[in-house]
Amino acid sequence: MRKKLAFLMATALIVAPSWAIGQEKGGVIDVATIGEPPTLDPMASTADLVGIVTQHMFETLFTFDDEWKVIPLLAETMPSISDDGKTYDITLRQEIKFHDGSTMTSADAVASIQRWMSIASRGKQAAPYIATVEATGDTSLRITLKTAYAPLLSLLAFNNSAAIILPKGNLADPLTEIIGTGPYMLKERKADQYIQLVRFDGYTPRSEEPDGFGGAREAILDEIRFVPVPDANTRLQGAISGQFDYTDSIAPENFDQLKASTESQPVVLKPFGAPVFVMNMKEGMMTGKALRHAVQVALNPEDMLLAAFGNPEFFAVDGALYPEGYVWHTKEGIERYGSGDPEAAGELMQEAGYDGKPVRILTSRQYEFHYKMAQVAAEYLKAAGFQVDLQVFDWATLTQRRADPAQWDIFITHGPFPADPALNGWMSDSYPGWWDNDAKHAAVEPFLAEPDLQKRIELFGMVQKTFYEEAPVFKVGDFNALSAEAKTLHNVKASPWPYFWNVSTDKK
Amino acid sequence: MIRYILQRLAGMIVVMFLVVTIVFVIVRVTPGDPAAVMLGPDATAQDIADLRSRLGLDRTLVVQYLFYIGQLLKGDLGQSIFLNIPVGTALLQRAEPTFFLTIFSLLIASAIALPIGIYAAYRRGSLIDQAATTLAMLAASIPSFWLGLILMQFFAVRLNLFPVSGYGGPGSSFGERMYHLMLPAVALGLVSSALILRFTRASMLDVLGDDYIRTARAKGMVERKVVLKHALKNALIPILTVLGLTAAVLVSGAVVTETVFGLPGIGNLVVSAVLRRDYPVIQGALLVIAALYVLINFAIDMLYLLVDPRVRY
Repeated sequence: MRKKLAFLMATALIVAPSWAIGQEKGGVIDVATIGEPPTLDPMASTADLVGIVTQHMFETLFTFDDEWKVIPLLAETMPSISDDGKTYDITLRQEIKFHDGSTMTSADAVASIQRWMSIASRGKQAAPYIATVEATGDTSLRITLKTAYAPLLSLLAFNNSAAIILPKGNLADPLTEIIGTGPYMLKERKADQYIQLVRFDGYTPRSEEPDGFGGAREAILDEIRFVPVPDANTRLQGAISGQFDYTDSIAPENFDQLKASTESQPVVLKPFGAPVFVMNMKEGMMTGKALRHAVQVALNPEDMLLAAFGNPEFFAVDGALYPEGYVWHTKEGIERYGSGDPEAAGELMQEAGYDGKPVRILTSRQYEFHYKMAQVAAEYLKAAGFQVDLQVFDWATLTQRRADPAQWDIFITHGPFPADPALNGWMSDSYPGWWDNDAKHAAVEPFLAEPDLQKRIELFGMVQKTFYEEAPVFKVGDFNALSAEAKTLHNVKASPWPYFWNVSTDKK
Repeated sequence: MIRYILQRLAGMIVVMFLVVTIVFVIVRVTPGDPAAVMLGPDATAQDIADLRSRLGLDRTLVVQYLFYIGQLLKGDLGQSIFLNIPVGTALLQRAEPTFFLTIFSLLIASAIALPIGIYAAYRRGSLIDQAATTLAMLAASIPSFWLGLILMQFFAVRLNLFPVSGYGGPGSSFGERMYHLMLPAVALGLVSSALILRFTRASMLDVLGDDYIRTARAKGMVERKVVLKHALKNALIPILTVLGLTAAVLVSGAVVTETVFGLPGIGNLVVSAVLRRDYPVIQGALLVIAALYVLINFAIDMLYLLVDPRVRY
């Protein structure tokens, strides 16, 4: 009997993934978020908050590993891609259950991808390249492209505006029932109070070790509650007092307070993303390249970042579109990265025949660091000789105004470093700023069509060089994000979209 | 009397109609777009236009207005764009925290302001009167949300006696939910007490100098009876007015305090709806708030009848 028991235990040790050993299931955590997500349908929004919450309930065919490489999630393996890069054969994992108990088939996947192409922003971005999506068996499907389009897998792997797989009978828009395949399922949503997720017992994790968003996803916690706390100070106090187990988005100046807390500790995501000044290339003074160059030369990124983030630990003065550590990192073209030289900028303005019209800069105090950067930028632009009209709006107003090319010259936003450069907003011709000219297409189109990663990395050097020569956007630098985790929480990975599978808590 | 009530009701309908129209226009002319907020930062102009069309926001203002009035006449406040539930349901869900926050704040404010206000008037010029007047001035000049932050820092973070924010998690009991209201109620109650205290004191001072008080004293009536029965009863009308107005302000959502403490009340709903440009919720919530203001004012006028037999309508 003892021998049998020892055998069973040994077998269990071999079968169970090493990371899961010793992780006792249980516990409930409160995750403080910056607000209520506008929807629980991750196809319908590109908002990070939507991705953070819904990635626990819905899954995509592919996802990203620790190094932002695409790996399979609901797909059994990476797809088989034809030599011309136009045909993607995808095999699904077997016996995957939806939260309603039904089994996922290729019919669900095909219908879901079609829904994604028709309603999701990223799906619409891919749709013009896609000829057909069809089932080739119960658990296999084929995507046929009109022309090769390398970013397709990254788009399919993204967790917001996401190509989630839904049961084909539940594809209403707006989504009426929240039924996915994820390790957690929705139990209750009380808007502006909490979103309660509970473990989905029918979930079968992948067999690989956890790797970024991929590999085995184990629902160790019984419950995850996402609590909207829009006030930044209240989030901080909740973290310090121990009310929240994980607290998203805390201002960098509170780092020392968090460090001194007995209940929580800081989680620094380094780097999180980049603030950018997008220039209007459709209408107004910034349609002229010389004035865009003048802005590039006038601005001093270090002063702007210092004003915005205070602590130098929280930013890096870096012109590369992808920081070191990303396969896309290159120094091509960054000699044009802002030198903070208003005099030289003034000369460029004279050559360009600047007529003294004010530069209309749209910014929002909903992201305080945008506003602080805008103030410093305005001073540098004034020193160069620009008249500046700084227009401060709430974010909703700004997003509406920026859609109208007649209303602005520069707007300020920020974004993470997407796994594929094609997912950057400015890569799309229709993104506000409307960078849509021959120089861009000459650099971007070969990059989008090339299926081989190594060749794409080389081609991206040319994209970045063109980006700096054309100056459609001024990249200010890199910044880090600060969050907090309770000292009782284990195995949380710093991420732009923090996730809580494979996470455990001492609070039972 | 009945004629007066009917007149007031007719007036209320006119006020409501004006509120509906003004709010509808203000909300629509304010820049910002629910479709852009909903679709997120990377949405294209075409995505936004598609969603606007689906939400009916691409129709002319007149068509939208007539459609909205038609809905209201059927008793339908519309559907929240973001919450995907009827506006009436959203308001009902938020009513509990706001209602009890109002009650607790008023109780705290009254418990502080009425006895001190009466005593300060009775002992006019005394040390207690001066201290009460000074403290009331101080309390009136402190924003409730700032006081809330101080209370939060001390009682929730340092002493860990109260939660920092929220209204209890899933399955929380009524008692737990009320416990979450304590700090914001104290913050609002303390600040509201200042105004009530000053009105109580002033009103009592007016009455305490009247002839009938002197007569009561001359007849040898016990001092406590003179103050609490004769003087207070006659001083109640202005006190009731200020209590009613305070209640109306609180019930319409102590906007900033609810936001600071993460309370899912009416004020919080309005703030979120404005930031998201959830037009139906903004319109519905402001309509209900206006109705509550009007009804509370009406109720106060009716209470005058009970308190002062000389009042006739």
